[in-house]
Amino acid sequence: MTNSLRIAWVAIQELLHEKVSYLLIGFALFSLGMSLVFGQMTYGEQAKLTLDFMLGATQISMLLFAIFMGISLFQKELSMGSISMILSKPISRASFLLGKYLGQVCMQFLITWMMGLMTCLFCLRFGTGSFSAAAVFQTVTLIAWEAAIITAVTYAFAVNSGAVVTSLGAASIFFIGHGRDTVSSNLRETSDLILWNSAKTVLPDLEIFNMKALASYSQSIEWNEFFLASCYGTVCVAFYLALAVLFFSRRDIAT
Amino acid sequence: MSTKVIDISINEVTKEFATGIFKKKLAVDKLTLDIPRGQIVGLLGANGSGKSTTIKMILGFLKPTHGQIFVCDQPAGTRQSRSLIGYLPENPRFQKFLRGEYILNYYGRLYGLGGKQLTQQTDHMLELVGLKHARAERVGGYIKGMTQRLAIAQALMNKPKLLIFDEPMSGLDPLGRMEIRDLIRAIHDGMPDTTIFFSTHILSDVEALCSSVALLKKGVLKTACEINQLMVQDGQFYSIVVTDLNQTLETKYRAEHGATTTSLGLSFNVESVDILTARLTEISRTGGTIVSVNTQRRGLEEILFSDRKYENFQFPRQAAGGA
Ligand SMILES: Nc1ncnc2c1ncn2[C@@H]1O[C@H](COP(=O)(O)OP(=O)(O)O)[C@@H](O)[C@H]1O
Ligand SMILES: [Mg+2]
Repeated sequence: MTNSLRIAWVAIQELLHEKVSYLLIGFALFSLGMSLVFGQMTYGEQAKLTLDFMLGATQISMLLFAIFMGISLFQKELSMGSISMILSKPISRASFLLGKYLGQVCMQFLITWMMGLMTCLFCLRFGTGSFSAAAVFQTVTLIAWEAAIITAVTYAFAVNSGAVVTSLGAASIFFIGHGRDTVSSNLRETSDLILWNSAKTVLPDLEIFNMKALASYSQSIEWNEFFLASCYGTVCVAFYLALAVLFFSRRDIAT
Repeated sequence: MSTKVIDISINEVTKEFATGIFKKKLAVDKLTLDIPRGQIVGLLGANGSGKSTTIKMILGFLKPTHGQIFVCDQPAGTRQSRSLIGYLPENPRFQKFLRGEYILNYYGRLYGLGGKQLTQQTDHMLELVGLKHARAERVGGYIKGMTQRLAIAQALMNKPKLLIFDEPMSGLDPLGRMEIRDLIRAIHDGMPDTTIFFSTHILSDVEALCSSVALLKKGVLKTACEINQLMVQDGQFYSIVVTDLNQTLETKYRAEHGATTTSLGLSFNVESVDILTARLTEISRTGGTIVSVNTQRRGLEEILFSDRKYENFQFPRQAAGGA
């Protein structure tokens, strides 16, 4: 575990030095700015629109961050050969993977909370009408959980495949995770339904983490509901990380 | 007393890579090799001969298709076996933003070091590889030779029983190569019980450092022997160039050794040290001048590089002067 923490710390430093991460953070800041302008111009449901836009931007940036940083952390280390220096030490491949994951996810929670804080500040400064900090906190935390799952999914793909397959795979799981009801209602054939229902057991239901609509009406959810969603997040993360570790321990490391 | 302790034991190891759905590439073929403790052993072979593959199997990065490897009686790849090894990969690189000292600390910690021991070992290693002045610099600013030395230092952090270096001198300029050679010698002198196993495609590296050598060609072990035996197997010979030779000797050498006249003088080859000594005494006694004596080898280079693709290649002649 201590080894994982050491690796996590280096991963955090690496993320801080990644230009791509600045890009994504910049993107988030930009959308926050845009939503401000947007909010100023619209009459009526001004506060709601601002919140909508900001939370949406937070979610998209975290999705991109999760996938691209996951790939980058991994492939860079593989192509540089520093992975072989780390794995030549008496540590397991599992703690290596766990360390990278912990580092990345810690950063993601921090960034999401920072974006949440900015959202609150903007709302306080410019927003009109009611506004609930608790709702914003809950929403962004759930977004961070969703990103944590997508990160684990990304790792499960990245340990065995290249950047393209990984990003497509992780993005598909994100979209399917949000469109489960649509898929369910569109399937007619029994065989399709059987397939889909078995697939559903291993594909995460990401709508559980979606309370953006509620938050934009300044409604928070019960804290025990929030807690349950976090528990569900933990289970999904554990499942996909276990898969990643399994694949990673079996593969040849050729660099 | 004289029984050798075997540090790495490779038994009938084969490694195939899947390069397509039905295609396979045989990288190492039924390799059997024992590396005794406390020696510097070279793994010599051309590019693509399976050196890195062998080394990666010893560390457990690659799993052999057949056969087993043991490191100090532990199966290769286990944490137990890796705790005994210090490893330098081919072309090591570090995250650019990390500083030299931090890297040694980091890798030292992964070996389980801590506290005062870690600080001391870090200092000691920086001193050994001559990077004290650059300890606080980011490795992004290091030149290749410095990175290589830092990577050697990280492999030494836990004072390992066994050092495995993959092409430690490759990609360096002559000065850098010398530095690494000297460093390997210094490590061997300072830690005489530590086995050093390194790969190279350059014969002179092996001759300069190793007590024994294993020769790989296309994944197959061609020879494994002590370095002085290599010279014999190698078909070593000596070429001598002399001037001012008296007529009797010249006629004799032309007849016995097929001596020929070159721009430097009379040149001929002899096969053994005994004959060499005899000829040299003869020549100096009769007032001849020895221009040069060189050790030459044919066998080894042939084993290593016998299928040179461009050996007989000639550029097509262009018609001079045009049409
Ligand atoms: N990951 C891999 N996939 C397919 N073939 C490989 C892989 N790694 C090495 N090879 C092949 O195995 C052979 C041995 O490679 P390697 O051990 O790297 O040689 P060396 O280190 O002696 O230059 C080469 O022909 C190389 O093409
Ligand atoms: Mg190699």
